[in-house]
Amino acid sequence: MKKCIACGMPMEDISDFAAGDPTKDYCIHCARPDGEMQSFTEKKENLTQFIVRTQGFDENAAGKIAENMMRKLPAWEKYFD
Amino acid sequence: MADSTRQIQKANTRKKIMEAAYRVFSEQGFSVPTSVIAKEAGVAHGSIFTHFPTLNDLLICLVSEFGNNIGASMHGLAAKCDSVENLLTGHLNVLEQYEAFYTRLISETSKLPGEAKNTLAVIQSTVAFHFSSVIEREIEKGTVKNLPVHILFNTWLGLIHYYLLNREFFADSNESIIRRYKAELLSAYICLIKKEGGV
Repeated sequence: MKKCIACGMPMEDISDFAAGDPTKDYCIHCARPDGEMQSFTEKKENLTQFIVRTQGFDENAAGKIAENMMRKLPAWEKYFD
Repeated sequence: MADSTRQIQKANTRKKIMEAAYRVFSEQGFSVPTSVIAKEAGVAHGSIFTHFPTLNDLLICLVSEFGNNIGASMHGLAAKCDSVENLLTGHLNVLEQYEAFYTRLISETSKLPGEAKNTLAVIQSTVAFHFSSVIEREIEKGTVKNLPVHILFNTWLGLIHYYLLNREFFADSNESIIRRYKAELLSAYICLIKKEGGV
């Protein structure tokens, strides 16, 4: 089973893949409306806002968690060298 | 061939250390010396350091594996869940399976190395992701009160954590808190968040 390179989500169903395309390595949540993968900055901002909305954390703390999530994912490893 | 036998042995020893550490940390907390883990695993003390250079490396690896297991279970649940009751029942079942270790994680967070603390925060964010995907659907349908998702999530987690962190008041030492109070916690929480006469 493929895992999204940008957020780690398992992609089982075709609807999990960006643009419903199973050849893509990233998921629907990590795609822009045009189907391209979000940039590092966009993904970090989206994850941060998601953590704030679902857990109510302070924005700086949420940003750190977002970075820690991204640090181990293939799409973003190079940003943490 | 000899190389592959050695690799299998190495992998087995690593697995034994991980399993023993999981049991020991669950029962005795994260301040336990590595010699206790080696004894429990039935390996030489030095063998631990061949696989995990420091105790922190072992802790980080364990918390990370625990996070992967919880994440996979929650992902499977959220995909199948048509109601918040089912998702929360599933969440409690997953926590019951790891109850002792999870209780250590939330009660001894300050003793964890930074990376393991970060992993714990990532684990809760993964749970929050699945929780929000189901609860937002229910809010939209009008079956759950239109409260901020973080309040709904933190209330649920806070309730479970209160029981786990005060376990000595809620159950005998060897009894599972979650198994004993699962039905009550779930029905009370659902009653609090459901809209009366909701669709």
